[in-house]
Amino acid sequence: MKIPNRPAALLLLLMLCGPLGAEPTEAQKAEWRARREAAGGEAPSEAQRAEWRARREAREASANAEGAKPAASAHEGHGQAAPAAAKSKKAPASAASGMAHDHAGAANRPATGVAVDKAPGKPEDAARASGRPAGMGGMAMRGGGGAVWLSDSPPARGDGAARGGMGGMGGMAMGGERSGPPSKRLWLRAGNDPQKSGFAREDAEAESQTLLVRPQGVLEGEVLPPPADGKKNLAFEMPVQGYYRVYASSRKLQGETLNVSVAKAEIANFSHGGDEEERAKALVAPRILESAPIEIVREKAADEKTFFQLKSGDEQAFVVLQKGLPVQGARVRFVSHEGWSKEAVSDEQGRVSFQIIRDYFPAWDDFKKRFKASYLIIAEANAAEKGVFKDQPYSTVRYQATLAGNYYPSPDDYRSYAWGLGIGLLIVLFCGTAVYLYRRRRLKPFQEVRFDER
Amino acid sequence: MSAKPMLQRLRDAANEVDFNRFRFWFQLVAFVLFVYGGYLAIDLGSKLPFFSCGYNQEGRAGVCYLLPLQHQLGRNWAVLFSIASLSILTGFLGFALWFIVLNKGWCGFVCPLGTLQDWISALRRRLGIRFSNYTHGQFAQLTKIKFVLLALLILIPLGVGGGFFSHDMSPPFCLICPARMILPIFTGDLSQFTIDFSSKTAVVMTALGISVTALFLVGSFVKKRFFCFFCPMSALHYLISKPALLKLKKDGSKCTRCGDCYAVCDMEIKEIADDVTTTNIMTDDCTLCLKCVASCPETGALKATFAGIPIFVSTEAGFIKRMNKGCQHGK
Repeated sequence: MKIPNRPAALLLLLMLCGPLGAEPTEAQKAEWRARREAAGGEAPSEAQRAEWRARREAREASANAEGAKPAASAHEGHGQAAPAAAKSKKAPASAASGMAHDHAGAANRPATGVAVDKAPGKPEDAARASGRPAGMGGMAMRGGGGAVWLSDSPPARGDGAARGGMGGMGGMAMGGERSGPPSKRLWLRAGNDPQKSGFAREDAEAESQTLLVRPQGVLEGEVLPPPADGKKNLAFEMPVQGYYRVYASSRKLQGETLNVSVAKAEIANFSHGGDEEERAKALVAPRILESAPIEIVREKAADEKTFFQLKSGDEQAFVVLQKGLPVQGARVRFVSHEGWSKEAVSDEQGRVSFQIIRDYFPAWDDFKKRFKASYLIIAEANAAEKGVFKDQPYSTVRYQATLAGNYYPSPDDYRSYAWGLGIGLLIVLFCGTAVYLYRRRRLKPFQEVRFDER
Repeated sequence: MSAKPMLQRLRDAANEVDFNRFRFWFQLVAFVLFVYGGYLAIDLGSKLPFFSCGYNQEGRAGVCYLLPLQHQLGRNWAVLFSIASLSILTGFLGFALWFIVLNKGWCGFVCPLGTLQDWISALRRRLGIRFSNYTHGQFAQLTKIKFVLLALLILIPLGVGGGFFSHDMSPPFCLICPARMILPIFTGDLSQFTIDFSSKTAVVMTALGISVTALFLVGSFVKKRFFCFFCPMSALHYLISKPALLKLKKDGSKCTRCGDCYAVCDMEIKEIADDVTTTNIMTDDCTLCLKCVASCPETGALKATFAGIPIFVSTEAGFIKRMNKGCQHGK
């Protein structure tokens, strides 16, 4: 989202601070005042202040009213979050600090007795009211604001630059030692914008685990060790062809709500010269983790090839699953490379579909057909599940899953049929005519020789 | 009169076969298999020694080896000169194993692009338009082009991997190969008939590809097997043809140098008639179509052998039988 001017940005900042529920300190006020004056902005009028105050109070009242609703049938539906939490192993280095600022509102919302809570109390309600992007409504995730997701590039590097390699998350580049198998590095990032998201920060209160599922490995996956030696990336080797999946899951209690998030990455590792039998097996192997509390699966088209690349303009479907079963009513959000987003709700098959928009408009001289743009899918679902987490009871579980991928400019943006067919036709006509004329010239008409007998 | 042994009868049947018809149906079946076989989930891999074009994504039943070869050679040099490139050797081995079976018979009987050229020639013949020939001087010069293209096919990807050339030049031969544009048409895919304006290199390469395709269509109409003369796959075949199982052999002592074999040769190979000393008569331009064997009136002068076993031998009886049915000499 583009912010038109600085005063507006300050207003936005004030609105963002609203759901924190705490009055700004004098130091903060002085800082804002100084920034406003530096930007040449005017101080908000008393009327504006009163309006903001009223809005905040209304939000808080609404949240409290919802919080007072009985969570009578919390065990209905799935209601089985505790075993998964109990099974999870702790991976301390990948734990991160979360957005622990929203517990007064959305985090305390109770379940309404259905498996997936579609009633008021959706996490983005508070977010919308506060002006923050939806999809993040108070998840106690690692990161400095926004969904946590796995990316194939660190924040400083940015996306878009065409890099070598194939496969990956729809074309992610790969690395690897010269003499060894290809390897992959992933970074855990936090934010709703694929370009602007920073590194996810550690949260000591959250319980985290990172699993790697290899194509020919155990279906339940293996624990991926956290980054070592001060590095921030998760690295692993890909010795065989197939889809490698990484699940970075996190659990954190906020009030009576257990926030469960799963950031997933799927990396396609295929090679032209690779074992064809291995490739054939990989193409039909399952791509879901049945133990995942929630996950997003990119739906493969029936005719999708090994070296698949998503293009602008393509329609791409995703399926939201919980423990391998489809989730109906999950709120799924697509965020494009430039931050454009669209939200949809999954159907009874857990399926949701988005058209990949075109949002790459450079000057023609700078156009790159291999420009790798990133998209981000965020799925959220609430469930009325009671349980205990770290000896603390909870009554609702808020699930969030993310999946990132890449897409490229559509060939329609830079390819021309008219020119192609025009040039072809011109050459056929020119060469055909030339051959015809050449042959005509080589035909020597019969000439009768007559002797002059006189 | 005692009945002929079964094997002898089989041999006679093969030697007296209506060769043109046999070859037409063989080519048709191979064309359907490799252009539409993908719809039947047939996949014979990516090391095929003929133009089963990989760009025909829907219908292909396998992929021409030149496509993966160029991709592999176009790797970053750090990867190319590492153990990871063992796959290039294994890939080549796979290609060689395919090739060794039919030798250049893949070109004469199986290659969809070769079959298309034969069909275009048949159309010309039906229209009563005469075909063109090269002069001996032209032949001697043009026959080298396929080896130049083969060298470029290897060197340009290496240059791309080394950063000397743009990635838009890769895979270089596929970008100018008419099969890339023509074969997908048979499955309704016209997407290759485009000019890529994303970079100057891409514009040049795609325009070159379309130009070569246009030349292919015109050339094939007036010259039999026009493109095979320049085909780098044919050059690669020839370089590794020694151990192949299918061979074309000539017994010079039985040859009368009548020139029938030269007259029917689509590739205008003069040695097939003139050379009476060489036993293994297959040259670099030969497509092993075996039309020369079918048109030879001298018993045992020309023969095709598979692993040393004669499978198709020129016979007087076969020649007469085929002539009576209307052998299309010189057309």
